[in-house]
Amino acid sequence: MLAYAGGDLLAFETLYRRQRGMLYRFLLRSLHHRADADELFQETWSRAIAARERYRPEAKFSTWLLQIAHNLVVDRFRRHRPHAWPDESDAYLRRLDAPESERPERVFSEFEQRRRLQLALEELPEEQRVAFLLRVEGGLGLEEIGEVTGAGRETVKSRLRYALARIRARFA
Amino acid sequence: MNPHERDDDLQHLLGDDGGEFGRLYRRLPRSEPPRRLDRSVLGEAARAVLGHAPRRHRWLVGLGSFAGLALAAGVAWHVGQIALQREETVHEQRPVVVPVQPISAPRHPRATENAAPQPQQSTAAPAATAPAPAPAPPATRTRAPSRQAAKPAAPPAPPPAPTVQPEPFPAGTQHMETAPPAATEAAPTPAEAPAKASRATTLPRGAAPSPSSSLELRRDLQLAPAQWLARIRQLMHEGRRQQASESLRLFRRVHPNEPLPDDLRPLLGPRDE
Repeated sequence: MLAYAGGDLLAFETLYRRQRGMLYRFLLRSLHHRADADELFQETWSRAIAARERYRPEAKFSTWLLQIAHNLVVDRFRRHRPHAWPDESDAYLRRLDAPESERPERVFSEFEQRRRLQLALEELPEEQRVAFLLRVEGGLGLEEIGEVTGAGRETVKSRLRYALARIRARFA
Repeated sequence: MNPHERDDDLQHLLGDDGGEFGRLYRRLPRSEPPRRLDRSVLGEAARAVLGHAPRRHRWLVGLGSFAGLALAAGVAWHVGQIALQREETVHEQRPVVVPVQPISAPRHPRATENAAPQPQQSTAAPAATAPAPAPAPPATRTRAPSRQAAKPAAPPAPPPAPTVQPEPFPAGTQHMETAPPAATEAAPTPAEAPAKASRATTLPRGAAPSPSSSLELRRDLQLAPAQWLARIRQLMHEGRRQQASESLRLFRRVHPNEPLPDDLRPLLGPRDE
């Protein structure tokens, strides 16, 4: 990014090729709608381009890029959807802690597993889904996820725990 | 699911392979952005880089060409004024010179020499305009005049002209006046020095609008708006109305949004207003 800020267009193309898929999938799975993902994908890169001279290599470029994308996703959710309160998450989680006997054992096919994961991701509260996607798609650690989302390390851990519990419940 | 299981899942997720759900996630369809988005983003990146540098460049070129124009206009105006004064000076001095040197032919080459290399003219002029409050005028003048003062009767020397006390510049500007010529003008050769000295000393007081108006205009360009306006006022008070007018016109072009004080407006012609 520093090279691009200095006028090296090839450096940007290299960077773009490396990050485009990861960013697109993060947006697509955060927003569910391809049109929204397309729009925010373009907007994320526009902002990165516009802010190229302010980029400082203290953080990984992918973290910086995901931070821009995350802010856009949050804005989009604020406009289109009411916020999921933490109390709701807790209530949902308590329901998941039902006895094993109440959950039928099933063996899922590969396709079914993928479908269930996708459904589980869609059903996750926004903050949990973002934390999960930043981990599995962006490859970010706890600190980096906290940096992107503005949350503390323990909060991030908590969100990931809840997300995993909900996903696992889908497979029960 | 108990908290212990959730912690295990978390530890696996944070592991290198992402645990069970990390692996499963990687088997999901690897969606890619459409080509049109690639084109759009890469196009925007190219426009940002290519459009950015030339924009700066254009700005510099614009300023540079404007400064060049201002300099050229100043030089042309200055040369015209000097040429006129030279003619007047020659006419005035001829009755004095003719009895001593009946043939005025040697004068002509020098006259043409005067008109051609303008930068040399401006070298001599600032030297001659140095204020002479101290009782040692030869020392305050250029290197060449001091030699001339030592040999006033040298054959190629022009007829002695009355020593000029040109209008002084402000103290702050005198320093700037003498400093820049080092970069822009060559030092006079020994052969040229007496001629230049004579040119400098034959300028009548008050007739010259400015010994180096282009340099002054360039210097004015670097002033803050308020200082520039104060400088124009100072020029007016010194009776250098033409120079003040040039400077004000330049001010207006450089700072089109700065309001002009009423007392300076008369300096602009009706077209400029």
